[in-house]
Amino acid sequence: MDLPTLKPFFEDKPELLQEILDRYPPNGRRSALMPLMWEVQRAERHIGEARLHEIAEIVGVTVTEAKGVMSFYSTFHEHPVGRFHLQVCRTLSCKLAGGDELYRALVEETGLVSGETDAEGTFSLQNVECLGSCGTGPVLQVNDTYHERVTRTRLAELFAEMRAGREPVPTRERGGDNVSADKAERVDAPDGTSVDAPDGTSVDAPDGTSDEEGGVA
Amino acid sequence: MKVVVDGVTLDLPPGTSAIDAVFAAGSDVPYFCSQPYMSPIGACRMCLAKVGAPRKDRDGSWILDEETGEPKIFWFPNLMATCTTAVMDGMVVDTRSEPVKAAQNGMVEFTLINHPLDCPVCDKGGACELQDRAYEYGEGVSRFVFDKRHQEKHHALSDLITLDRERCIHCKRCVRYFEEVPGDEVLDFIERGGHTYIGTLEEGLPSNFTGNITDICPVGALLDATSRFRGRNWEYHHTETTSLDDASGSAIVVDGRTGRIERIKAGHHPEINKTWIDDGTRFGHEYADAPDRVRRPLVRHDGRLVETDWADAMDYVAARLTEVNGRDVGIAIRADATLEEGVAARALADHIGTGQLDHAPRPAGGVIAAGGQARLEELAVAGAILVVGDVTEEVPIVDLRIKDALRGVTPPSLFDHGAPIADLRLKERAPRHAEILTVAAPLRVDLMRHAGRAAQYPAGGERAFFHALTALAEGETPADGDLGMPLEAATAAVDGLRKAETAVVVLGGWVLASLQATEAALHFCRAVGAKPMLLGPMANSYGLELVGVAPSHARYAYGGMLTGAKALILSQLDPAIDPAVAERLDKLELLVVHASFLTATAKLADVVLPAAIGYEKDGTVVNLEGRMLPVRAAPVDAGESRDLTGFVKAFGEAAGQRLEGRSVKSARRWLKKGLGVDLDALPEHGGWAPAKRGPARVAVAVHEAPAHGGALRVPTMVRAEVLDRNPHLRAATGGLALGLHPDDAAALKLRSGDEVTVPVAGVPRRLVVRPSEAVPAGLATVPATPDEPVGLVPIDLKQIALERRALEVA
Repeated sequence: MDLPTLKPFFEDKPELLQEILDRYPPNGRRSALMPLMWEVQRAERHIGEARLHEIAEIVGVTVTEAKGVMSFYSTFHEHPVGRFHLQVCRTLSCKLAGGDELYRALVEETGLVSGETDAEGTFSLQNVECLGSCGTGPVLQVNDTYHERVTRTRLAELFAEMRAGREPVPTRERGGDNVSADKAERVDAPDGTSVDAPDGTSVDAPDGTSDEEGGVA
Repeated sequence: MKVVVDGVTLDLPPGTSAIDAVFAAGSDVPYFCSQPYMSPIGACRMCLAKVGAPRKDRDGSWILDEETGEPKIFWFPNLMATCTTAVMDGMVVDTRSEPVKAAQNGMVEFTLINHPLDCPVCDKGGACELQDRAYEYGEGVSRFVFDKRHQEKHHALSDLITLDRERCIHCKRCVRYFEEVPGDEVLDFIERGGHTYIGTLEEGLPSNFTGNITDICPVGALLDATSRFRGRNWEYHHTETTSLDDASGSAIVVDGRTGRIERIKAGHHPEINKTWIDDGTRFGHEYADAPDRVRRPLVRHDGRLVETDWADAMDYVAARLTEVNGRDVGIAIRADATLEEGVAARALADHIGTGQLDHAPRPAGGVIAAGGQARLEELAVAGAILVVGDVTEEVPIVDLRIKDALRGVTPPSLFDHGAPIADLRLKERAPRHAEILTVAAPLRVDLMRHAGRAAQYPAGGERAFFHALTALAEGETPADGDLGMPLEAATAAVDGLRKAETAVVVLGGWVLASLQATEAALHFCRAVGAKPMLLGPMANSYGLELVGVAPSHARYAYGGMLTGAKALILSQLDPAIDPAVAERLDKLELLVVHASFLTATAKLADVVLPAAIGYEKDGTVVNLEGRMLPVRAAPVDAGESRDLTGFVKAFGEAAGQRLEGRSVKSARRWLKKGLGVDLDALPEHGGWAPAKRGPARVAVAVHEAPAHGGALRVPTMVRAEVLDRNPHLRAATGGLALGLHPDDAAALKLRSGDEVTVPVAGVPRRLVVRPSEAVPAGLATVPATPDEPVGLVPIDLKQIALERRALEVA
């Protein structure tokens, strides 16, 4: 039986490969492991075993070692993640700010639990450790973008965008936790066009009536 | 440097680690991650101690304690991992104070958090470092009331090694071992933090040295699959002996229980194998207990072999031998017989009055170089090495010592407590000096991955290869094809050998198979001032050549006596696998076979006498560097098996003669008289064999026909002749391989895994097809056995018979 063969990823990208390898001295070729993995993951949303073998061969290490590096970093994925990779912070500050409610809302909205990807390949849900934005919890990272102080209303907006197939525009807080949520403002969209600040009244405070977490400020 | 450990003052060389200072002082700290001959990494944090040192003032004088007037000791702010701390002049180490004890308690408790504590069902129980340290340094109680981490418990890393991921304490010894010792990085940590586990993506751990990780695992995570659930450590009888599986003379420990060998572990010989052995040596012991083991003497009555006892059998042999002219009797023993057995064979030949005495396999070029040969310790520090052969398969320990040389760290000097626990000169991922190593072979061999230069000369071209190198060394230009590598590379290799302070040329079986190639190689060694290292084919090739178990004339050599003798006494040899030889043996007047198994030859014999195998003998062997090493018998039930000294004793009793070599003791008397060595006073780690050879007999070169043919018999780490009796190794290796270039295999419509029978030099061999790019087109590789030694031989691929086709992937 002929199994379909996967074309080597870097076969038609010799310049890119050379550029990455040239960043390191000849005896440090193994340092190129991670940049090469990033290239693969950016293109294919995960690093399959065939790609791992290819990378290991390029840098001259055993595939076991390449796997050891890849599995050390939770940002490298063994299986494909959905078009929108929802990463919700589960560390203390975000939890105090309503992270659990955010997670439950995401579970309800997507029908997934942490670690799952839906059948259509649209959403992946994952609990992650501290995202380093403790003042603006709860934080949801969609792919590479932070969405801060994610309330139900904002979540609804996010999902509206994502379901329409658009990358949601990040909401970033100005002034961190010294400024209340209703002063939130959208920063410039990636294409440079300015986006209006949302109406303060549309922003709900996090659901403070949660039975499990008790009083959430 | 003056170091004070718990009040004991020591004088230690700079570079010593604090943990070795602690042990040198007779104190103790627990440790899990450090391991002799491997880099210290300070991962387990068990060896913490309070460490302090005096400080110098700006003017260079010691800062003094105001009260005592002595240099003031400044303690480090935190406890230090002694394995990664080097000693300083005036350093003070305290391993007994309360903070140290608290740290040790805490670390034991922490290490045990996720450990399943299933000691009652764990094979390591009773010999477990974690168990011992927990008893010695733990509190005995855990405050961890939560669920432990659960992971896979019976994960087969390979057919030979089982991994229990719950027991693993992440000391990283096994992972570091693979990177640092054999250089095959086939094991790594997967995931991180509390999820970390040991894993591999390489199927079956492709390395010849995987079993060592079961020795160094401080817990019961990595276990030898051949000995799992077979016994408790305290029930085993540990016999420290020397491996007879290859010519390295590696130290091994044979663990036996109720008369059966259950496992083999590496012994410690600091100048030979350190603490490592190859998988063939470790796992290749199951054949000792094979179902077809001959346990009682057999004598042929009415065409059938009938069980009897030694006295009866020997009466028969002695009586029948009187009917044959003594000169027409041939005696041949296998080259892993001990020195004492060699003496016994000589005595037997002298008594019978025959010159037809030989040991086999005996390479044409001999295994003792006239001008002396390199020792393993010299190989390990060599500045230039040329290897001709496949050492990784032939004598795997030589492969490891070459890798020591590549790392460029001289072997450590020993403390009273043994090899340094933490040798601070060793580092993880140390750079390797591949440029000092040149590897040449007729096919691609494993060591070439580590070599700066690799040469692939035509099969059978060893002599031409050395002639070409010698020409190069003498400033001439050799023919290109003979070198198998570019001229510049060969020139660099020759220059390296000439310039290096210690240069070693390792000569494998393919070179030694030809007298002319061996002479050419030794000539080259002299030309560049390199020391040769000759890899003898079996454990005591050196010793038997030394004692002179050799024919009095070339035509009386082993091959000759098979056709010329009228009666034969064969010990552990099996020439009847060749149908032509079997036909001749059948017509002999008397065939006496001393064998452990009912081999093809034994089935033709008039008398079969049960032979002791390597683990069941007492005696001495001489390894490839000329070091005499003790062989000690493990308490194993081998029926009435005896070694050759026992054979000669029984024969002498039947013939009414007290022959020399009738016991180990009697043989040693002869050796003391003949060679001037007192083997009863052999030091623990062996002694150097004398330069003097055994009297009277002269080693004669085997008649040499020019090598030709399409098959190269190759050395194998696993002993090919007993592989079928070693079920675990057989499963792991997939059987004896017929190596073919993929194109050749395709032309013959053969697939990997096909079982075939093919005549190789007239001997039908059952082999498993393994196409490999390493084999050059037009050549087939076949494993060598004692009766079919390494070298180039004819093969008739047209007569290949397919026995079973490999399962096709649907």
